[in-house]
Amino acid sequence: MKKAKRLLALALALGLSVSLAACGPKEQGGQQSESPKPSASQPVESQKPVDSQEPADTGSDVAKEITLWTYPIGNWGKEAEVKALTDAFKADTGITVNVEYLAYADGDDKVNSAIAAKNAPDLVMEGPERLVANWGASGYMVDLSDMLSAQDRSEIQESVLNACTATDGAVYEYPLVMTAHCMAVNLDAFKEAGADQYLDLTTHTWTTENFIKAVEALYAHYGDTVAAVYCGGQGGDQGTRALVNNLYGGTFTDAAHTTYTWDDPLNVKAIEQLKGMDGIAFDASLQGGDEIAKFYQGVLKMAFCWNIAQQLDPNSAGTGSGKTVTGEEIAFMSFPSEDGTAALQGGIWGFGIFDNGDASRIEASKLFINYMANSEHTVDAVRTANYFPVRSAAGGVDLSTMWADNDIMNEYQVLMPFLGDYYQVTKGWAQARTSWWNMLQKVGEGADVASTVATYAAEANAAAK
Amino acid sequence: MAKQTQVAESRTPRRREQKQSNMSRVLQRRENINGYLFMLPSLIFFVGFVIIPMFICIFYSVTDANMRDTAVHFVGFSNFIDLWQDPVFLEALKNTFLIVVVSVPTVCAFSLWVGSAIYKLKGPLLSAFRCIFYLPVVTGSVAVTVVWKWMFDNYTGIFNSVLKGVGLIDKNVNFLGDSRFAIWCIILILFTTSVGQPIVLYVSALGNVDHSLVEASQVDGATDFQVFWKVKWPQMMPTTLYILVITTINSFQCFALIQLLTQGGSGTNTVMYYIYWTAFKLTEKAGHFGYANAMGVMLAIFIAILSAVQFRLAKEK
Amino acid sequence: MKSENVRGRVYKIVSIVMLAILAILFLFPLYWIVTGAFKPSADIYAQKPVWLPTEWVVTNFQKLFDRRTAPLFEIFGLVGPTVPAVFRWLVNTVFMAVAAMVLTCLTAAMAGYALAKKRFRGRAIVFGLIVCAMALPKQVILIPLLREMSALNLYGTLWAVIFPTVGWPFGVFLMKQFSESIPGEILEAARVDGSSELRTFITIVFPMVKPGVGALAIFTFISAWNDYFMQLIMLDSNNFYTIALGISTLQSETSIDMGILMAGAALASVPIIVVFLCFQKYFTQGITMGAVKG
Repeated sequence: MKKAKRLLALALALGLSVSLAACGPKEQGGQQSESPKPSASQPVESQKPVDSQEPADTGSDVAKEITLWTYPIGNWGKEAEVKALTDAFKADTGITVNVEYLAYADGDDKVNSAIAAKNAPDLVMEGPERLVANWGASGYMVDLSDMLSAQDRSEIQESVLNACTATDGAVYEYPLVMTAHCMAVNLDAFKEAGADQYLDLTTHTWTTENFIKAVEALYAHYGDTVAAVYCGGQGGDQGTRALVNNLYGGTFTDAAHTTYTWDDPLNVKAIEQLKGMDGIAFDASLQGGDEIAKFYQGVLKMAFCWNIAQQLDPNSAGTGSGKTVTGEEIAFMSFPSEDGTAALQGGIWGFGIFDNGDASRIEASKLFINYMANSEHTVDAVRTANYFPVRSAAGGVDLSTMWADNDIMNEYQVLMPFLGDYYQVTKGWAQARTSWWNMLQKVGEGADVASTVATYAAEANAAAK
Repeated sequence: MAKQTQVAESRTPRRREQKQSNMSRVLQRRENINGYLFMLPSLIFFVGFVIIPMFICIFYSVTDANMRDTAVHFVGFSNFIDLWQDPVFLEALKNTFLIVVVSVPTVCAFSLWVGSAIYKLKGPLLSAFRCIFYLPVVTGSVAVTVVWKWMFDNYTGIFNSVLKGVGLIDKNVNFLGDSRFAIWCIILILFTTSVGQPIVLYVSALGNVDHSLVEASQVDGATDFQVFWKVKWPQMMPTTLYILVITTINSFQCFALIQLLTQGGSGTNTVMYYIYWTAFKLTEKAGHFGYANAMGVMLAIFIAILSAVQFRLAKEK
Repeated sequence: MKSENVRGRVYKIVSIVMLAILAILFLFPLYWIVTGAFKPSADIYAQKPVWLPTEWVVTNFQKLFDRRTAPLFEIFGLVGPTVPAVFRWLVNTVFMAVAAMVLTCLTAAMAGYALAKKRFRGRAIVFGLIVCAMALPKQVILIPLLREMSALNLYGTLWAVIFPTVGWPFGVFLMKQFSESIPGEILEAARVDGSSELRTFITIVFPMVKPGVGALAIFTFISAWNDYFMQLIMLDSNNFYTIALGISTLQSETSIDMGILMAGAALASVPIIVVFLCFQKYFTQGITMGAVKG
């Protein structure tokens, strides 16, 4: 009798834990309809054994559900707009795409923890610095070079395709859109301070000398910080990099993308110049996104974290293109340089496929990429991103004129020739970004510029080896 | 009297042990089985999600493990040696202890003061104060952090605006972007989210103090101050220890604040945050998982020592 | 004696005034959340902080609701109606916190009783481990936990957040302290009466440690609700986000709208504050009961 009771107790205790353990997978099962995990798609796999050697023309080994994780690339961060695209894709192919929207603030961490948990998404939308240099180089991505026909290669801009190609020739990103990152000025504020004379609004360029004069004029008028070298994190750091590099013609990496060169004297000179200017603050409480918000708010008179998507919809607030919240006019500008011709930092965005070892999902993902980036639907995908297409035509549709009816896009074209080297694919990129903003913080707090820059550049270079 | 009960308490286990030695083996076995059966559900979780991971953590810490789990090599203690040469880690360690060393005593002292100031108040007033100080706890760490970030804003924050308005400062203070202030801002926010529970505890502990003892000492001519330290304080010792424990735990767990306010910049990096950063940001660094785990092991050792000391002290009291 | 009385009264008044000032400071963040949530964007983006909304609007909530949608719930293939994702996040958060709370209380009450009253072998070791692990931040075991959850196929589900919370040994410690006070004579008597161990636990032990369970329940609920870290690491899909995680991802690189953030923060905090105010009495009672013994 006693034994029986003891057994009962044991059974109860075990039952409790077993039922708990059982709940987990069940939950996972319930989730199946929404976002398939490797486990969730196992039934599909087991019914139809996948032979990766076999070509996928039968359609039987194409998964019916895939996941896409996207960063906020133009309106690819907005659910309603992306849903329209994925719904159209589903109507065409019967494949459901579950989309997760990442933020730049913690998006990398999410992808990395998903990779570590062997739960990476099928598709990810971002730039070569992550897809090629980081995840691609680490072997998590699928080589997409077989998707590129000779015609595709001729239609896609060569420099873009190069950025999407790893050193061993594997293509880890199928590019969709591109832009040149630039800066912006609050034109009304410039006029009020009499600084608009330093801007050339037809070419949208200016020289370092004029930039310095403009900041002086603005500071004389407002008596407060008018622009911030933001360094609260890595968010939007392309702006601070481009500012520093262009001011006196420094570079971030060498041409071969093997070493970080931001300790060269030209960059040091630029950082010293910025540090010494009244009106420019090294602000460790801001990241790129905060800076945009402050600029949109009218507090800062210049933004270093800008591009065409921002110009079209400042702060993604939907309050009209090229206007701050109070309706002041925003003008985009190239970064200042000594002779007025800047090397702008390119932004390239496209799709990559994570290798989860499931050929059917890779096939479905490839279908998705072809649909979005290489078909007559590409024009919609590009339009949603609010950037420029990377190719002249897709699926027989000419893309070179797709923004012809958009004045702002047309005007922005003047900056595109200034596109500089796409150096973000240098090894050790994640460390270099961390070192960069930490360096700016230290300099901002008054540390000696030359030695601080040297220390942190060395840290980045240690990771580049 | 407090002493007497303690003596009595300490005597009971000894008596039991005596009894235990007399117990037959069968009885001991029954006790074992029953004990483990009752422990089982909890042990499944504790062993499964704390102890086993801790061992895996120790294992990883002597390897060059990466996010990709192929080819893990044993590297001896090189991760640990590197740690002590990593200025970021050392700074993080310093900050971690700064946070704990500052916030634990201030939380205790502050809540003791508030508790003693409000415990004699009338019902509604008392519960109003209790609620107000407890609110930041229930508001939720992320919501609290987000609003504090806005209030601390360098350009349009309410603090700068008010401080400027009353003439205390003439230039905006970059609270979260200046390493002179940032960590103190974080400690302040942590403080507001930590004092709620200790205040509630002290209020009730003060209410439960043996009044006959208080009266007796007052008759003997003790001042309020003396009454407090000589009579009330010893009786609140268990409460104080409990508060020390939960506040220490709380202080070590502060992650959201750093992630959402400074990302470890402006001199606010902590070991907890640096582990996360190394593991999921610096993913190109060779052996970054091993390195992050080595940090974890170091931190765990420090915390275990701290807990052991705390409990030794508690036992002596 | 008299002067002391006067001094005492002055001290009392001064301390009440200071308390009142402190209370305002403690209330202020909440005030700022609630007013911020209802401010029109002109106030949100105003360069001088606006103390009271010039106009109370719900546009921030509308924007928040329009951002993401999700089915309200998904249980065993049953999918709820599509609603703004914030509500799903709230459902997730409540589910997670309640499940963690119930499991923790059950397991900890049993284990605490065993540690306090059963002289089984290895008890000292187990208790030692528990004490040492109590203050351990979860960041320490973050990578192993992630791997483990992935191996158990729990990554991305709420269970991946719940289980480590349950495994955290603070509850066991608390319940052990609490169970010490159960008189051994009662247990002995029950045993002599032939009551089974389980029955003794359910009918005698549990009612006696109930206040402690209450304290633990509150503590666990709140710490699960606030445990942003585990949620950040373990949850990877919008549909399984918690409210804390949801709000934090509203801060993205390209658009920061404090109005939307405050609306989210208000939705995250107001429900639990209301619950807290309603059950305030039990709340404080529970907390105190637990600790006086601790």
